[in-house]
Amino acid sequence: MRVLLVRAVWVLLICAVQNSTAVAQDHDPLVRLDPTVRHAVAVMLDSARQAGLPTAPIESKVFEGLSKKVHSRRILAAARNVYESLRLARAALGKDASTDELTAGAGALRVGVTTAELANLARGQREKLLTVPLVVLADLVTRGVPRDTASQTIFQLWQRGAGDDDFYGLWRGVERDIVSGTAPGVALLARAREIPSRVPPQGTPPASGTRPE
Amino acid sequence: MSDDMDRLDPYVEWIATEARRPVSIDPAARQRLLDAIRAEPAPQRSGRVLAWLVEPRRFVLPPIAAAALAAGLVGIGILGGSTINRDGRQSTERPPADVASPRLPDSARAVKFVLIAPQAARVAVVGDFNGWDAAATPAVREKDGTWSTYIPLRPGRYVYSFVVDGTHFVSDPAAPIAPDDGYGQKNSVVVVAGAVS
Repeated sequence: MRVLLVRAVWVLLICAVQNSTAVAQDHDPLVRLDPTVRHAVAVMLDSARQAGLPTAPIESKVFEGLSKKVHSRRILAAARNVYESLRLARAALGKDASTDELTAGAGALRVGVTTAELANLARGQREKLLTVPLVVLADLVTRGVPRDTASQTIFQLWQRGAGDDDFYGLWRGVERDIVSGTAPGVALLARAREIPSRVPPQGTPPASGTRPE
Repeated sequence: MSDDMDRLDPYVEWIATEARRPVSIDPAARQRLLDAIRAEPAPQRSGRVLAWLVEPRRFVLPPIAAAALAAGLVGIGILGGSTINRDGRQSTERPPADVASPRLPDSARAVKFVLIAPQAARVAVVGDFNGWDAAATPAVREKDGTWSTYIPLRPGRYVYSFVVDGTHFVSDPAAPIAPDDGYGQKNSVVVVAGAVS
C-alpha cells in the first residue's frame, strides 16, 4: 500500500516537473535561435534595458526573423540594426525621450530620416510628445514624400504649435490626395498650408499630447 | 443485339429458379456450431507482467492519501490548463506586441486587413502587433476568394505582412511598403490614427 502511494507521488512529481519545463520553454521563443546568437541577443536586450532603450522593437525584429525562418546570424544582424537605430534616436531626441518617442524616432531613422532632422525636431517644443509627428513623418516618407520635404514640413508645423490632431488630419489628407493621384510632395505642402499656427499666447497651458512631468 | 438477349433468356431463367429454391438447413446445425465454439479454449494472455497488469485487485487508500492524490491531479490539471486561455490560445504565446510600435494615447480600433488570394488554402496576418506569430491572427475566407480579418490596434505605426499557406510572406498590395526588413522580404506599413476632433 505504502509502496503504491510512494509510486503515485513520484509519478505526480515527474508530471509536474515536465509540465513546468515545457511551459518555460514555450514561454521563450528565443530558444529557437542557435545558442550563440541567442546569447548575443540576450546581451543586446540587457544592454538596451540598461541604457533605458525599449526592448520590444528588438524582440519584434527577432520574432519576425524566426517567423520567416531566417538564419540566426541574419536575425542577429537585423536586431543589431534596430538596436542601433534606437540608440541613435536616443542620442538625437535626448535622454528625456519617452519609450514611444524612441520607438517612433527609430522607425523614422529606418525610413531614411537623419539624426540631425530628429534632433532639430527635439529642439522644438519639449513640453509636448513627439510621438505622433515622428509616426506621421515616417509614414509620409514611406508613402513617397521626399525625405527633406517631409522633414522640413513636419518641423515647421511642430514649431507653429501643431498638435496630434493636426498631424493626424494632415496625414489623412495627404493619404487621400496621393490615392487620388496627387504627387506626394505636392500633396503634403498643400495640406500643410491649411493648418493654422497654434502657438498659444504666453501663459496658456499646453494642450493634448502633453509631455508627462 | 436483341437476338443475343433472347438466346440467354432460358439460362437467366434457370439461375433465377435456382436462386428462388428454398435451402433446407439442419435444425441442429446452429446448436452444433455454438457447441464447437464453446469447446475451443479461451485465448491466453501471455507474460507475467501483462497478467499482473490486468489482474483485478482491491485498492484501498486512507482518506488523507486519497485527498493528497486528488489535489496532485488537480494541480497537474491547473499547470497544464494554465497554458490555455479561454479563447483557445496558448497563454505562453508571444505577448501581443503592439509594444513594438509607438503607442499613442488613445483607445484601440478594429483595423481590417484584406488580401485577395483565391488559390490560398489559409492566410494569416503577422506583424509588430502579434509578435509575428502566424497562428495568432488567421484570416477568414469569403466567397469571392478574399481573405480578411479585423485586428484591434492602438493608434501608431505597424509593420506587417500576410502569410499565405503558412510559408509565403506577401506584402499588402493596398498599403505602402516598409523599407527593407533586413531579411530580404517586403513588409507593409499601416498607421492607425487617433481621434481627430
